Amino acid sequence: MDNAIRLEKVTVNFDDRFALSEIDWTIEKNQHWVITGTNGSGKSALAAVLAGVGDIESGEVSGLPSHVGLVSFEAQAELIAKELKKDDADIMDVISLGTPVHEMIFDNCQDPKLAQELVEKFGLTPLLNRAFRKLSTGETRKVMLIRALSSKPNLLILDEPFDGLDAATLTMLQEHLISIVDTVPMVLVLNRFDEMPDFITHVAYMDKSALESKKTPKNRSEKAAIESGKLALTVDKNNEQAFHELYQLLHIKTTDLSVPEADPTNKLPELDPSQPLVKLKQATIKYGDTVIVDKLDWTIEQGQHWQLSGPNGSGKTCVLSLITGDHPQCYTNDIFVFGFQRGNGESIWQIKQFIGYVSTALQWEYRVSTSCRNVIISGFFDSIGMYSKSSDKQKAIADQWLELLGMKDRANQPFNKLSYGDQRLLLIARAMVKHPPLLILDEPCLGLDDMNRQLVLALIEKICEGQETTVLYVNHHAEDQIKGIENYLGLVKNS
Amino acid sequence: MANYFNTLPLREQLAQLAKCRFMSMSEFDDGVDALKGKKIVVIGCGAQGLNQGLNLRDSGLDVSYTLRAAAIAEKRQSWKNATENGFVVGTYEELIPTADVVLNLTPDKQHTPVVKTVMPLMKQGACLSYSHGFNIVEEGMQIREDLTVIMVAPKCPGSEVRAEYVRGFGVPTLIAVHEDNDPKGEGLALAKAYAVGTGGHKAGVLMSSFIAEVKSDLMGEQTILCGMLQTGSILCFDKMIEEGIDAGYASRLIQYGWETVTEALKYGGVTNMLDRLSNPAKIKAFDLSEELKVIMRPLYNKHQDDIISGHFSQTMMEDWANDDKNLLGWRAETAETNFEKTPAGDVEISEQEFFDNGILMVAMVKAGVELAFETMTAAGIVAESAYYESLHETPLIANTIARKKLYEMNATISDTAEYGCYLYNHACLPLLADFMKDIKTDVIGKGLSTDDNGVDNARLIEVNAALRSHPVEAIGTVLRGHMADMKKIV
Ligand SMILES: NC(=O)c1ccc[n+]([C@@H]2O[C@H](COP(=O)([O-])OP(=O)(O)OC[C@H]3O[C@@H](n4cnc5c(N)ncnc54)[C@H](OP(=O)(O)O)[C@@H]3O)[C@@H](O)[C@H]2O)c1
Repeated sequence: MDNAIRLEKVTVNFDDRFALSEIDWTIEKNQHWVITGTNGSGKSALAAVLAGVGDIESGEVSGLPSHVGLVSFEAQAELIAKELKKDDADIMDVISLGTPVHEMIFDNCQDPKLAQELVEKFGLTPLLNRAFRKLSTGETRKVMLIRALSSKPNLLILDEPFDGLDAATLTMLQEHLISIVDTVPMVLVLNRFDEMPDFITHVAYMDKSALESKKTPKNRSEKAAIESGKLALTVDKNNEQAFHELYQLLHIKTTDLSVPEADPTNKLPELDPSQPLVKLKQATIKYGDTVIVDKLDWTIEQGQHWQLSGPNGSGKTCVLSLITGDHPQCYTNDIFVFGFQRGNGESIWQIKQFIGYVSTALQWEYRVSTSCRNVIISGFFDSIGMYSKSSDKQKAIADQWLELLGMKDRANQPFNKLSYGDQRLLLIARAMVKHPPLLILDEPCLGLDDMNRQLVLALIEKICEGQETTVLYVNHHAEDQIKGIENYLGLVKNS
Repeated sequence: MANYFNTLPLREQLAQLAKCRFMSMSEFDDGVDALKGKKIVVIGCGAQGLNQGLNLRDSGLDVSYTLRAAAIAEKRQSWKNATENGFVVGTYEELIPTADVVLNLTPDKQHTPVVKTVMPLMKQGACLSYSHGFNIVEEGMQIREDLTVIMVAPKCPGSEVRAEYVRGFGVPTLIAVHEDNDPKGEGLALAKAYAVGTGGHKAGVLMSSFIAEVKSDLMGEQTILCGMLQTGSILCFDKMIEEGIDAGYASRLIQYGWETVTEALKYGGVTNMLDRLSNPAKIKAFDLSEELKVIMRPLYNKHQDDIISGHFSQTMMEDWANDDKNLLGWRAETAETNFEKTPAGDVEISEQEFFDNGILMVAMVKAGVELAFETMTAAGIVAESAYYESLHETPLIANTIARKKLYEMNATISDTAEYGCYLYNHACLPLLADFMKDIKTDVIGKGLSTDDNGVDNARLIEVNAALRSHPVEAIGTVLRGHMADMKKIV
């Protein structure tokens, strides 16, 4: 292959059921890729595009290789279906045994010598005369692999090649792949990171696309019928940091672990469900003659998720700190929070116990030499650092969170040695650990790169699944939407 | 007004000096209850006033501020501090008569006029609180008999008092009740509630006396804390220049060196600070510090003696009465020192290099800490108190030098500390002149040459044992252990 394979803003449809939207992807010579991603995000579809499958609706595809070796469950199913059809066709005649294995392998074979070698290695010799359709799934897989490998392809696409193979075959296959790394570029679709061979140079991460298909649907039901995926990120494997983060992202997206429970031995006081969580009346913040927030009325009912937006300097963080009690002028305003009318002898710790809070400022303030586990546990105490003894139960809950984050092995590592993105994830877990009635996410993605933004949003989506927590999300990035938020408050800058 | 301490019989003086007990967490189970619903009025809204007030209010207490009329009329910084933070601000006449508790957080120098002005306005049976006992102990201020007098003294600058509270913690705090003024016997309950309100109870509270607080606080601040660091800075800098070390490098090594080496002190005491050195360097630092201790001991004794006898406060008050002539003169001199005038060079110095090339600085800190501690305990001050006033606070002052060098360090610390610092500096510079003649760049500026890395085992064992067995290390291990249990924060 002389040229790179290039997909530019490519949108591909598959049977009107699924679409890949606006894929930008380049595979250079000498690169070996893994495609990974969430379920239903179109990993196999993307691989298949390289083999010429799907209707290209828009965009440019160039450099597709002339001969692609493709092994996938879809291709396997297709071949078997074809065999079974033959069977049907012959039904009036003699009972057909179907195509024998040796024919499947050696007819039209480009490299019989290699095919023979692999037949022996994979232990297929005794099965050569057996009908292909009589084989077990694993055996069919091996046949598919041999066909693809001995076809002298100039691109090899292996979709979940290691699934359903016994350990011995797996090792042999992996060895063989290593032996051909210099001759043919490979694209592997893999669900699991730990299966990734060392020779892989790049990883593509697919996610379900939030964007609707470009076709304007005629009615709602059609809209619902179309799902689409996008190529969310690509990572160079040499970039260890990014690679690790991708691993975490996949973990959070695909784990079936649910959010750990709150500490059952330390229950928060009950809130009166008929009362709002927060009620600001004519809230005003000013410094000298400068008015930052001007007569704001705002009520947050329980279960009512809000997004707060506004340009820099419009007082978003100030408004939040009136709620959290961090702004000194909360004592000069009419503020009702969590059953307290502020300024009547309550302490800020009585307020903070109901709130989980994440912001960039918190991360800056969290300059502590404490362990990752303690950072999570500190959420039970609303403290920065740990000053109280934690219970075994709290430690266990923190460990469950670490597992959810894909950071199980980091429980005792110092927090301040973590990457910026990992710190943010831990602080989000810290905010959620007590299942607060109000979770305040103040620009949780601010300062994060694309990968970490994805990670943080994945985590937030995960923790918002079916929780009784009310979310207050502050953001001005339109693309970082969180599902289920229906109330918006926009602040404007006071001049 | 007579020096209160000097009016007491010896028996009582000794008893008061020795008063110091580390309180257990369970003694604070009543939280802020004793102050709940009471009206707290703070006089002055500076470093301590503002930050203590913010904490007390966030703990659910009723806090307002009274300022002198001029500060309100001119909308001075103290007025801005209070109003921008949403506090009620009023004149003495408006607020003092309504107060159940009055916190006097004005500069120590102003205490006599301030207390004399507000006392007649105070409610019958109210409480007057201080964060430093100078006015009561050294000036012998007499307080109306019906008033309760307490002290709650955070052992950190005001900004730390606030920052630690916001994190959910607090700073170590010393509390005391003035026994002559505890008519209702509620002084201790009020002081404990106040300590809880500022968050101090989480970091450890010492139950002490006005006298022990003043006599140890003055000693610590003028010797090891400010005096030793100032004198050390000047001597080390001048020596490096004399030996041809780049001025920018020398300035940086000193400005940030104290902070770096005392960071190790904060975590693991003198032992840990010296353990950061190579073995030969450690022995060198140890030997230098032994020499320094012999030379400086009479000076430490003199400072402690003058503090105990009241001679120190008397001369300082004379200077106050003389429009601060000495203080202002010394302040101007400090601005003219070479170290002060040479900005830190744009060179990278690694954390370890501050130790390796600053052996003499390490020796000076060790000598100063141990001497201050030994002198205080010899004068009858309890080890816990002596620890807080020497070793514990050294990194805090080192931090102000890193941020602001000497002139600003002196402007930041209290007037009493500054006055004492200059006294120490003036006596100590000539005292160490001979010692400094033998000092070369191997112990300040360049570090030991690497080819003499061998040490004698027996000597090393001796040095390590001596370091570890010093009494400041024993009490430090206990008190830091308490902090570390709770506080895992930098
Ligand atoms: N700084 C520390 O690290 C520390 C630690 C523990 C205890 N303390 C103690 O805390 C107390 C206060 O110290 P600080 O450092 O907070 O002082 P500060 O920052 O200098 O603040 C003093 C406040 O008092 C006001 N004030 C000054 N002169 C006054 C006068 N004649 N009458 C009325 N108000 C006056 C000032 O406001 P205006 O000038 O605008 O009126 C200012 O708001 C002292 O007793 C000190 O020993 C300090």
